[in-house]
Amino acid sequence: MDPFRQSLDQNLLVVGIAAYVTGALVLLAYFLFRKPVLRTIGLPLAVIGVIAQFAELGARWWMTGVWPLTNLYGSLSLFSACAVAIFLIFAFRYDLAFIGGPVLALAAIALGYATTWNEGYMPAVPALQSYWIKIHVPIVISAYASFMVAFCVSIIYLVKAAAENRYARRGSTVRGTAAAPGGAQMNVAMSSNYGLEPAMGMIRADTPALTSAAAAGDATAQWLVGLPSLARLDVMQYRIIAVGLPLLSLGIITGAMWAKEAWGAYWQWDPKETAALLSWIVYAGYMHLHTRPNLRGTFTAWISILGFVSIIFCYLGVNIWISGLHSYRM
Amino acid sequence: MEARSGGGLAPRTLSALRESWNDLVRLFAHIPFGVSLLAIWALLTLIGVVIEQGKDPAFYASAYAPPVARLIARLDLANIYHSAAYIGVLGLIICSMTAATFTKVIPRRIPRLNPVKVDAIPLHATVRVAGDAASVRERLAAFFAARGWQVRKREFGGTEWTFADKNNWARRGVLVAHVGFVIIAIGTTIYWAKGYSGQFAVLSGETATIPENGARIDLERFAYRIDPIRTKAGVVYQPIDYVSNAKVTGRDGTAHEAVIRVNSPYDVDGTLVYQATYGFAIDFKLTKDGRPVAGPDHLLKEGEGFAVGATGRAIQYQRFVGTIDRATGQPAADPRPNDPGVVVQAFDSDRPAGAAMIALGQPIDLGAGYKLEAARYVLYSGFQYRYDPGIPVVGIGAFVLLAGLCISFYFLPARLFVLVRETGASTSEVGIAATTVKGYEVFEDRFRDIVEELRRTEPAAGTTEVRPAPVLESV
Ligand code: HEM
Repeated sequence: MDPFRQSLDQNLLVVGIAAYVTGALVLLAYFLFRKPVLRTIGLPLAVIGVIAQFAELGARWWMTGVWPLTNLYGSLSLFSACAVAIFLIFAFRYDLAFIGGPVLALAAIALGYATTWNEGYMPAVPALQSYWIKIHVPIVISAYASFMVAFCVSIIYLVKAAAENRYARRGSTVRGTAAAPGGAQMNVAMSSNYGLEPAMGMIRADTPALTSAAAAGDATAQWLVGLPSLARLDVMQYRIIAVGLPLLSLGIITGAMWAKEAWGAYWQWDPKETAALLSWIVYAGYMHLHTRPNLRGTFTAWISILGFVSIIFCYLGVNIWISGLHSYRM
Repeated sequence: MEARSGGGLAPRTLSALRESWNDLVRLFAHIPFGVSLLAIWALLTLIGVVIEQGKDPAFYASAYAPPVARLIARLDLANIYHSAAYIGVLGLIICSMTAATFTKVIPRRIPRLNPVKVDAIPLHATVRVAGDAASVRERLAAFFAARGWQVRKREFGGTEWTFADKNNWARRGVLVAHVGFVIIAIGTTIYWAKGYSGQFAVLSGETATIPENGARIDLERFAYRIDPIRTKAGVVYQPIDYVSNAKVTGRDGTAHEAVIRVNSPYDVDGTLVYQATYGFAIDFKLTKDGRPVAGPDHLLKEGEGFAVGATGRAIQYQRFVGTIDRATGQPAADPRPNDPGVVVQAFDSDRPAGAAMIALGQPIDLGAGYKLEAARYVLYSGFQYRYDPGIPVVGIGAFVLLAGLCISFYFLPARLFVLVRETGASTSEVGIAATTVKGYEVFEDRFRDIVEELRRTEPAAGTTEVRPAPVLESV
């Protein structure tokens, strides 16, 4: 095999992993210390990582002539690249850089794990020799990646909600504001976070217990106040899942179309497609629960976590533990 | 008529019935109830993923602990997707969705224009501007219209309200998604009612018929390609191609050349025929004391067997071995037939009595004077076929569902309630409140932007100059 291409592939992989690992560390530091300079360094590292990864996938295709997503190595590589790409879109569009640490860390782990599935050059088995692989797999993988980013937001939501609850239990005497932990929301206007004029109704604010603890100099409370409010985190999580769910639906639909072409039935109750349906049901449940203000918040954050667990089960669990048509051998 | 004139019991029963019906509809329309049904659906689906489906009871008895195997048998968990519970829960989900759509989604999503208590809505703001109420209303209408809001005015009790809607049409997104789901359900039901599917295997040179439509498949040749590939973990044998060359005769009575491979099925009168699997059929020869005796009456496929005379013994052909390693006598990794053999299992009165690997062409002794030889192999091709008239309907449903999801998630219907009050000579106070179909948080940033822009573009109270609102990018 062409040594130039091979070393290009290797080098891009190393650049990708190195950028994710350092980016994860820098953005974790940003998450902890909120120094803008860390964000300024961390985001370009994420951009470098993602470019290197997409270039690496392209290089592998060029090197082998085989579409690189026919095995777990390729698909996990794409998964981490998509997760970082989706994170970057949200980071720039909605100022979501603070979740970069966990996202990049998970991307680095996924990519590192992917290399253990690298068999080297492998042509595709007959079932995978279809143009559908170029449509279906990237869609499904980007759905998984969106859910991974949403999962990171959910974790931060739950951490902040638990901390707010703790401060609330400690007993603040200040009363009367907006998004309480767990998403319960009161109709009282508050605006301090945005420096708006009075008489502007706002709902994204921390609980009074937390803000008063922060005002009293409690370092943890001050750190927590620096995170977006629970209501805002919830909206972010919702928006990201709203990207993932249509992608997953489209992924299932294109998978069904492919299955019809390859195996004769658009739906065979194969473990993989059924596990994807399972995740779809969980996220459809999330969307419905999210329409209820009293369930929006901690509960839906847990559902998002459950959803991602189901995604991991569908993505890795089924491939590794359960054989079916997707581990196609005749 | 009788019920009405009779009075007493009948109307009461009727109203009790109506009340129970309403209770039932309320229950079904309740989102937590619907989501609980989704959770049950998810749980049944998970069981189906974890427990291998469609195997015979012996498989579960050997694969699971006895109590689990018994549970699987008793609850019919081996065939869960076609169980009454699974289909029932899907039916209930559709009922629940329908109840919710008619009692909640439609009324809530398409609300009438009503005045509100502006300050009581979490997203509200007050802006003091110059001008009398009428001119301010006009300017505000222009301001919102220029930004893509649909502006409507209504009078309630002598007070004029301005309502501005964005993406009002997208309120129907949920309806579209729900309808899409129902269409998919209809499409799958059409297959259950009218479609059929099955599988068959044909030896090279033989013929098979699809019973449901009488189509004939003459398999001329089946071929495969398996390549040895050097990987980091050593050499693996990777399947590259499977192809059946056949002549297919459909309703028109003419034989058509067909090349059937994975990912390219053949359509015969609307029924699709797929390359599904392949195998090696074996011509077993049985002799007793050196003379041929009746053995199997056809070439055996993997899993098939035959009785050995009247000995009470039976032989099952278990699997084909492509290459028997000459040095070790064990199966080699190469699945291609180089030095092929077969693994056979002997049974004595239905009890396993030992297995053996025999090379092709080399007889083995079965005892009592019997000898068995695997004389030759013939490749066979396994096909699946399926006729599914519901596919176009499922396709439409999938498209509608996806469209519904995109409309629901990416076009946020929002409504602004605007009330202008004159607070002095040439000064007015504008109260604005916003609602969306997805709560307030999701709109907070945009609401803030709208209000800030309004403050920037509208002349402040106390000034006399009235500037027209510039047209900015829509929110
Ligand atoms: C289990 C039975 C179901 C019930 C009771 C139900 C009911 C509802 C209700 C009441 C809403 C909120 C409407 C509103 O806020 O005005 C809703 C939203 C929605 N439903 Fe369903 N639904 C069910 C199943 C489904 C299924 C299977 C789908 C899949 C396509 C679906 C797709 C949607 C979508 C996309 C939304 C919009 C969510 C959002 O805007 O965030 N529903 N549903």
